[in-house]
Amino acid sequence: MNFTIIAETNGDSLHPTTYQLIGAAASMGSNSTVICPNGECASEAAKINGVEKVISATGDCFSVFDGGAWASALSSMCGKMILISASPNGREIGSRIAAKKGIPIIQDVVSMTEGITVSRPIYSGKAMESLTISGSAVISLRPNAFEAALAENDAPINIIDQSADVRISIQEAINKASERLDVTEADIIISGGRGMGTIENFSHLEEIADTVGAAVGASRAVVDEWGMPHRMQVGQTGKTVTPSLYIAVGISGAIQHLAGMRSSKYILAINKDPDAPIFGVADYGIVATWEDAIPALKSALSDLQS
Amino acid sequence: MNIAVLLKQVPDTTAKITISDGKVDESSVSKWSMSPYDEYALESGLQLKDATGGKLIAITCGPERAKKMLTDAAAVGADTLIHIPDDGVTDSTHVQKLLAAAVMRFESNVVLCGKQAADTNGGSTGPGVAELIDAVCVTLVSEVNFLEGDFTTIRPSNSGSEKVIVNGLSVFAFDKGSLELRRPNVRGIMMAKKKPIESITSSDLGVDLDSSNVIMNSQTPPPEKPAGQKFEGAEYVNEVVSRLRNEANVI
Amino acid sequence: MRIMAYEALDFYDVDSLLTEEERMVRDMVRDWVDEEVIPNIEIACRDGVFPDEWRVALGEMGVLGAPLKGYDCPGLSYTAYGVICRELERGDSGLRSFASVQGSLAMYPIWDFGSEEQKNYYLPKMASGEWIGCFGLTEPDYGSNPGDMITKAEDMGDHYLLNGAKMWITNGSIAELAVVWAKLDGVIRGFIVEKNDPGFSAPEMKGKHSLKASVTSELVFQDCKIPKDRMLPGVKGLRGPFSCLNNARFGISWGALGSAQACFDSAKDYAMSRIQFNHPIASYQLVQNKLSWMLREITKGQLLAYHLGKKKDSGTWIPEQISLAKMNNVDIALEIARVARDIHGANGILDEYPIMRHMANLESVKTYEGTHDIHNLIIGRHITGIQAFTREA
Repeated sequence: MNFTIIAETNGDSLHPTTYQLIGAAASMGSNSTVICPNGECASEAAKINGVEKVISATGDCFSVFDGGAWASALSSMCGKMILISASPNGREIGSRIAAKKGIPIIQDVVSMTEGITVSRPIYSGKAMESLTISGSAVISLRPNAFEAALAENDAPINIIDQSADVRISIQEAINKASERLDVTEADIIISGGRGMGTIENFSHLEEIADTVGAAVGASRAVVDEWGMPHRMQVGQTGKTVTPSLYIAVGISGAIQHLAGMRSSKYILAINKDPDAPIFGVADYGIVATWEDAIPALKSALSDLQS
Repeated sequence: MNIAVLLKQVPDTTAKITISDGKVDESSVSKWSMSPYDEYALESGLQLKDATGGKLIAITCGPERAKKMLTDAAAVGADTLIHIPDDGVTDSTHVQKLLAAAVMRFESNVVLCGKQAADTNGGSTGPGVAELIDAVCVTLVSEVNFLEGDFTTIRPSNSGSEKVIVNGLSVFAFDKGSLELRRPNVRGIMMAKKKPIESITSSDLGVDLDSSNVIMNSQTPPPEKPAGQKFEGAEYVNEVVSRLRNEANVI
Repeated sequence: MRIMAYEALDFYDVDSLLTEEERMVRDMVRDWVDEEVIPNIEIACRDGVFPDEWRVALGEMGVLGAPLKGYDCPGLSYTAYGVICRELERGDSGLRSFASVQGSLAMYPIWDFGSEEQKNYYLPKMASGEWIGCFGLTEPDYGSNPGDMITKAEDMGDHYLLNGAKMWITNGSIAELAVVWAKLDGVIRGFIVEKNDPGFSAPEMKGKHSLKASVTSELVFQDCKIPKDRMLPGVKGLRGPFSCLNNARFGISWGALGSAQACFDSAKDYAMSRIQFNHPIASYQLVQNKLSWMLREITKGQLLAYHLGKKKDSGTWIPEQISLAKMNNVDIALEIARVARDIHGANGILDEYPIMRHMANLESVKTYEGTHDIHNLIIGRHITGIQAFTREA
């Protein structure tokens, strides 16, 4: 079987998800045809193991992101099984190609086996669904759920020029200083408590937050005693939050704080006191001072991003 | 102007989900609500209606219980309420065809929906419907405005966000924004009670629900989280971060 | 987007009996209380203020004077009115007191006993929340015995002259008008006093340990001159104020349940999270006994209130039935608050938790609108035909 893979780029190089899509195809014993929209990174794609050929799709229609125009331009080059990243753009292009071809699309798949049988999270991760697909389909894969392919290949590249009606034009860029997310909106929250020592030390937490697009939260003690804004307070008298990941730094885990973050999907606690109650609810606990742990956390997370 | 808003009723995002016999047990869901992202679409639709004097058509494809959600939409200002019973619907392609047919039947000038439903978390409906009605689609929008014949909207971009202008029939899929859905009031609730809900079936819409080539095998609880793991010392940070990525899949 | 929607205890699914309209009204008020009241109530309570934004919001939602029909009033069922009171009091009894006074004690008497001119002039402004009303019956020396009140009205030909004082008046200092009950030639009549009427003042009563987020005032009449058209023509005697009180008491029978449900919710949540001796305290028998008792009383109270709502809506009620529900539901709510405080341990005394605020509030709710003991005697009189309020016949 040959999968058609629609590549996604990250600035000047392919997004890691493209390597993961190709790796996923390979784990099914299949080769891939990779389509590079706007011709971007075609030569990089050609080097990835498991790639049979690369189609460099060029054309003015790719200059602005208009999901309909992209799907229109790419659809005819796609085979029967199409893999795309479950990134925002990927989900959109995938949906339009699927509707155009009259085939189903399965979004945000986290595992794939022969059949083709896939599994994906539903109800915001409160349940998992297993589906079997017989016939043509578009499948979008969750980023970082599949192993990336290596790059020791040299596949041929075809350049195909495409055109399509573009119906979106950019009126203006709004480069507002991207505000950090509020604790109630963020999928990742890093919160600090008394163990942070001073309010100034929160800047270290803010740096981490900016690295991963997280919100910064605070325990009541810090809000009451150091003047942190009340909207950052997580707990009984603050906000109740349900992020995928809650990182509690220098927070002991008193019942009032737990009331606000206990329903987080995963909890990482960093505290120098091995008996701190927070370790009772944490999925991952690191017994260390914030001075030691936070710089390490920052560099580990930055490494992940790149 | 006819403003179509696509709504889906889902288990409230705070409700517990229980599984029995390999399927999510709908009868045990304590509270059903409008899918949260759809609320943003509805509020935007109401603001467009206020600004242009148009008509807001609320459309849902779902079981009988979804009608309550339409009445709630009427309480905040939806004019026409359309219920498409979901008998025979087995996957999202069916839903898209039904919604697309309803949108065209009511001669909609613009279609608003949430970026994804809180139960399936798919995100295919907006772009899929757009493809079927040959409309342009913009996803992850936070607001939609209509000025001198054109729709403009704001969506994220690499450098923050960008304002884009679109031509022709458009579909906008909403992400969370600053526009919270307005609260109803008693007058709205009492008028909503009287508003009829039109039921339109797949055969009324001329849509053939063919068999799907996707079979749902089972729905199961999420994999058990491993027991809490504690590590002594900051030297374990890298280990933990890699577990957060590979074990927990949260970063 | 609501983060953690409140799930009220409803063990016998009594809410499934609500009409769709009643359910939608419930959800509207519940969501507002979650978003606007719960996050701000502790500060309001500490500061001893009733936030004006709440008056505006209640007016915008259209819940003031809920069961009254016409004159821009909501025209909802009495059951809906009960539901509104329950949802408000889950937030705070003082908040519900504002709505009870506005709707049942100030708007209702004008609606039932006022002239057409009075109804057209006052009711729309009160339904919208633009004008706040209050109810002047209780006096410093006449509480359970309102019949012997000494506030007097004299007919001076082209105006009435009021003299006397009322005490414990919710909304008094922030109200545009007061419906005041005074004796005109020995007969109790209702009079509408407006805040700028000469000789009228409404100083706030400070130093309360209860209903702190509610304004409680005195109404002082010192040769207060009011125009002739301010008397309520439609009623004489105690029937006037008692009709108002019956409506308010009905609302309170539902409201108290809201307070009880809030205390139960907090106690259950706390018991599930608090670990002592390596186990959540919810696993210990004494704690389960307390939670089980709370559930039992709340369930009974809900059925009482719901059925009373049906009787009120069908016009088949008698005042004694309202007395029973008010008395029972407030009594159990106060006990539930106390037991809930016990479950919260030391944490229960902090305003991190709503418990002691509800507990303190319910002391007032048990006393106002007819004390617990008075309602007890109302029922005793109903059973025996013998009044036991006074020594005299």
